[in-house]
Amino acid sequence: MGFHGEKNRPAKKHKSSKDHHYMVHDEDSYYPEELEDNNRDGEKEGKKTDFTNLELKPDHANRPLWACADGRIFLETFSSLYKQAYDFLIAIAEPVCRPESMHEYNLTPHSLYAAVSVGLDTETIITVLNKLSKTKLPKEMIDFIHASTANYGKVKLVLKKNRYFIESPFPEVLKTLLKDEVVGKARISSENANGTDGFTISKALGEMRSGHDELLTEAELATAAEEKETHSFEIDPSQVENVKQRCLPNALNYPMLEEYDFRNDTVNPDLDVELKPHARPRPYQEKSLTKMFGNGRARSGIIVLPCGAGKSLVGVSAACRIRKSCLCLATNAVSVDQWAFQFKLWSTIKDEQICRFTSDSKERFRGNAGVVVTTYNMVAFGGKRSEESEKIIEEIRNREWGLLLMDEVHVVPAHMFRKVISLTKSHCKLGLTATLVREDERITDLNFLIGPKLYEANWLDLVKGGFIANVQCAEVWCPMTKEFFAEYLKKDNAKRKQALYVMNPNKFRACEFLIRFHEQQRGDKIIVFADNLFALTEYAMKLRKPMIYGATSHVERTKILEAFKTSRDVNTIFLSKVGDNSIDIPEANVIIQISSHAGSRRQEAQRLGRILRAKGRLEDRMAGGKEEYNAFFYSLVSTDTQEMYYSTKRQQFLIDQGYSFKVITSLPPADSGPELSYYRLEDQLALLKKVLTAGDDLVGLEQLEEDADDIALVKGRRSMGSMSAMSGASGMVYMEYNTGQKKQGHGLMKGKPKDPSKRHHLFKRRYG
Amino acid sequence: MHSTGSPLGLEAVAGRNQLRRLQAHKHPPPPHSLKFHSDLQSPCADKMPQVKIIAKNFMDMVASLPACKLDKLCESPFICEAILRSLPPLAKKYVLQLLYIVVPIPAKSFEEWVLPDGLSKHRVAIDRLIQLRVYIETIDRKKETSYQLNPTFQINLQKQLIHGGVLPREPMPLNVRLPTLEELETYTHEQWECFLLQLISSTQAERLTNFSFAMMKVFQRGLLSQREKEAPRLTENGFQFLLMDTNAQLWYIIREYISNAEERGVDPVDLISFMLELSFHETGQAYNINTLTEVQIITVKDLANLGLVKLQQGRKDSWFIPTKLVTNLSVSLSDSTTRKQGFVVVETNFRMYAYSSSKLHCEILRLFSRVEYQLPNLIVGAITKESLYSAFENGITAEQIISFLQQNAHPRVAERMPSVPENVMDQIRLWEADLNRVEMTPAHLYEEFPSKDVFDSACDFARDYGGVLWEDSKTMRLVVKADIHNHIREYLRRQK
Repeated sequence: MGFHGEKNRPAKKHKSSKDHHYMVHDEDSYYPEELEDNNRDGEKEGKKTDFTNLELKPDHANRPLWACADGRIFLETFSSLYKQAYDFLIAIAEPVCRPESMHEYNLTPHSLYAAVSVGLDTETIITVLNKLSKTKLPKEMIDFIHASTANYGKVKLVLKKNRYFIESPFPEVLKTLLKDEVVGKARISSENANGTDGFTISKALGEMRSGHDELLTEAELATAAEEKETHSFEIDPSQVENVKQRCLPNALNYPMLEEYDFRNDTVNPDLDVELKPHARPRPYQEKSLTKMFGNGRARSGIIVLPCGAGKSLVGVSAACRIRKSCLCLATNAVSVDQWAFQFKLWSTIKDEQICRFTSDSKERFRGNAGVVVTTYNMVAFGGKRSEESEKIIEEIRNREWGLLLMDEVHVVPAHMFRKVISLTKSHCKLGLTATLVREDERITDLNFLIGPKLYEANWLDLVKGGFIANVQCAEVWCPMTKEFFAEYLKKDNAKRKQALYVMNPNKFRACEFLIRFHEQQRGDKIIVFADNLFALTEYAMKLRKPMIYGATSHVERTKILEAFKTSRDVNTIFLSKVGDNSIDIPEANVIIQISSHAGSRRQEAQRLGRILRAKGRLEDRMAGGKEEYNAFFYSLVSTDTQEMYYSTKRQQFLIDQGYSFKVITSLPPADSGPELSYYRLEDQLALLKKVLTAGDDLVGLEQLEEDADDIALVKGRRSMGSMSAMSGASGMVYMEYNTGQKKQGHGLMKGKPKDPSKRHHLFKRRYG
Repeated sequence: MHSTGSPLGLEAVAGRNQLRRLQAHKHPPPPHSLKFHSDLQSPCADKMPQVKIIAKNFMDMVASLPACKLDKLCESPFICEAILRSLPPLAKKYVLQLLYIVVPIPAKSFEEWVLPDGLSKHRVAIDRLIQLRVYIETIDRKKETSYQLNPTFQINLQKQLIHGGVLPREPMPLNVRLPTLEELETYTHEQWECFLLQLISSTQAERLTNFSFAMMKVFQRGLLSQREKEAPRLTENGFQFLLMDTNAQLWYIIREYISNAEERGVDPVDLISFMLELSFHETGQAYNINTLTEVQIITVKDLANLGLVKLQQGRKDSWFIPTKLVTNLSVSLSDSTTRKQGFVVVETNFRMYAYSSSKLHCEILRLFSRVEYQLPNLIVGAITKESLYSAFENGITAEQIISFLQQNAHPRVAERMPSVPENVMDQIRLWEADLNRVEMTPAHLYEEFPSKDVFDSACDFARDYGGVLWEDSKTMRLVVKADIHNHIREYLRRQK
């Protein structure tokens, strides 16, 4: 069984399978394996998954899980051992779905690699699993664990004085590795080799492991505190990634652990920071840090926490523990500002120790250690830079970083990572993300580029604990109007399909209704998401609301967001997909999604994340409290269009986390009349005409905004539409309007046709 | 596609006249619910009270017997007592009140006993008594109605009450350890599952019951399609049958068993009276088989196959042990057993976890979900659009699936409201509604009109009848409802 859990998952299947054929041109949401999935022979499957022969233990009722021979594990959440079992499973297996009563996990080579790298050994894994299991463990599973972990934890990759070494207590393992062509070539022979095989031998202090929980203690002690001899050889820094990949389970199967013994690092200067007393990590934040610093060293890896659960505090805490220079990478300039702010908020870092490096601000820290916050693009950019940037980038390249902190690792394309990671040298890499799903299925790349997943929080548990908002999700079914549907079905409108179902007057009315309801009845703050720029502008203009999209400048964005945060008159903003990631809008508690990027599960989760930050008082938010649901997520879909299919697909990730989508079929209410727009048929027809006459580049399927900061999946993406549309500048007109905020609003909405000469210097080359 | 609200549409069964009408209308008729009544139609069935009968339990079936059979049943004092026990409280009182009165009592006097707000209860009681032919209704020349106890019933009940009944057999004194009540219950349960599995798919069953092939076929008719050269497939009713609770299922089988009696050369009245007799036996006691007639021995063996009695053989004798199911038979099958513990957990992501090791459960879940994992005490499945569509195609309704999931909810989730996640219920209903968006109307297409005038006048004509479904004046084509086809044809012919 493969390592992505989706493959054998049941899915809430498409609502309209006839649409299946139309979606092939969208590679982001098209999975070849799904076809197999649908065609699977029911009978064959029945035989394969019949494990009724497993022997049930007499006291099975007290044990929390079942383990199947194919690696699937089922966990009862109402068991008294749930908490322990959950912590253990999340360390050794990949969660498939985690709703309320029963969780499912998959044991995969990668998940076991992660388990070993946080310090669990083969025997411990088997013993504990056996203890928790209701049945005797299937032999296949024991064999699988043995086979997958036999070699794990034997090889380490160590950065010393800017040179990379492969280290192992077993010289024969190193010999095996060197027999491989890739590894052999990468080796740099050292002159002062003193071992028989030319390996450098040194004494390493045995690891003092701290127990993960009571269940594991016995096995821990065996390996503790003994002195070990380690053998090592040096490899070419430029080959590090290749070597790491060769060592992964699917090749040589000696996955390398990356650990940083920062306490004993006397070469790199210390950074004098610590957490402020008011920064108290929550239990799950603490737990994720324990996984990272479990044995007194810092491990590289990824920590997965839902949006709004306080990822930045984890990042800042990690930096404060390592206390070395830290390079923090974010996806865009807005989140660079936010990260710098978070560092100052939670830690005692002084202003001169932290600097931002973006196209707009090129600061440098003083002293010999500090924190640099920048974007992936700034580091990976291959073109000509200004003299000033060149200097800074040179500094970044030459420095030996204690911690490379990477935000939103799921968005950044693999090749961008490669570049960033090969350009910068760091002892420890920490990736942060909310959704470890990628539509391009490249998620495993992250395993060798950064490291295994160290911790993943359970969304539902955090909701129950009141740490993140309890969101009521709803899918609003808007029937297509007759006229729009007729056009939708016409062959020659293939390119306009999206525009047609997004501009469906019923959808517009439903959206308008929801905005009114939440603004007026509940006084909520609303974000409306639309991927389709044509729709975004149409909606925003008609409803007279501010909007942000790719071409909106940094200054304007900041102003609009500020107005949304503070002004009582700006309660709704329209965002294109630039708003998906890392724009922090803690005020918002309602999301209305009118169009989206096909079947992207990640986008759905990210968008939901915009409103996950818990608001209000804790006791109100708890189950049964005054405001059990205080956040709302509406996804508006036009029925009988391909949107229905995408919508199901998109929700899958959230559904796996235990969220449920309520279907609403009665919006806008039947008795709503002309108070909502497009009531009269003439208006609807006028709108239809507008959609049909708009330029192809406006209504096409793909609207890429390549913002200077925003990183989209560039690689292998088929782009449609004109160049100007891609830059988000195709005849876009900003409307000027007056919502009552007099001076403040002035200027920020000013029309600003994009003049190519005014484009960011990074873009001149690309599109100019 | 018709959707009957409740399992098997039993409540739709009405008085005989109504019944015939039903039969005439619906094609094909739901075989079981009608079958039973027509089987019992015997020559003396000319006068049946025109009252609705809801044949939900044993006594309802007794009540629906033709008068002459009912009179025959009254000959046994035990059956008289059984009938008395089954009556609603007020009806019981009426029986006892008239027990020693031999003259007809005018209906008016009865009504004087009742307070105005008790009138509906009074009617129910009287109706029931008449149905069961406990009361005989007479209407005199002045059209005054009066009631009298059925003389046979009266005499027998008097005997039974005064002297106490003597069963044809006593429990056997044995020095063998008899099964405990729990053991009996397990036995019943296993036997029933085994029977059901064989019923729906003989290949899945681990062991077979001793029912003859022919008998099994009788049970299967109406539940399985039995076309030649084709593997038997569950029919709409079969699916519904499986989703019913055990009591309803048992009741269905017993009814089939009794209604088939005549084909086997057994008088249904004998069967009924024997079964009622059995209900006076003591649960868990052993009774000698020698005390039974030949027909009764066969019956006992059949009942053992269903788990109603347990057969055991000693060195010399053999005996049968009645289980709770059979001793409760006459009371009311639909509420005789305690509620079973639920076992299904449905999650918001459409995953379904069933705490069960029963193959039968697995087969039932397969009817509307995709079973993915089978573990020693857990079945893991997913409710998918595809699995539901195939269920809908087989005539299972969304409501039936939902109520099955609710009724069998695991105690963990049973107290949660709702026990099945709302979004899952909504989705199941929406998927069902999705299938009903297209309405089929039989229609006829007219084209190649000789002239525009003829076309227009035909359209007008059809419109007058309200039968136009579609018209296109450009191509001169017209689609009308099938039922006005003849009128239009006639009209067009006249136009020529």
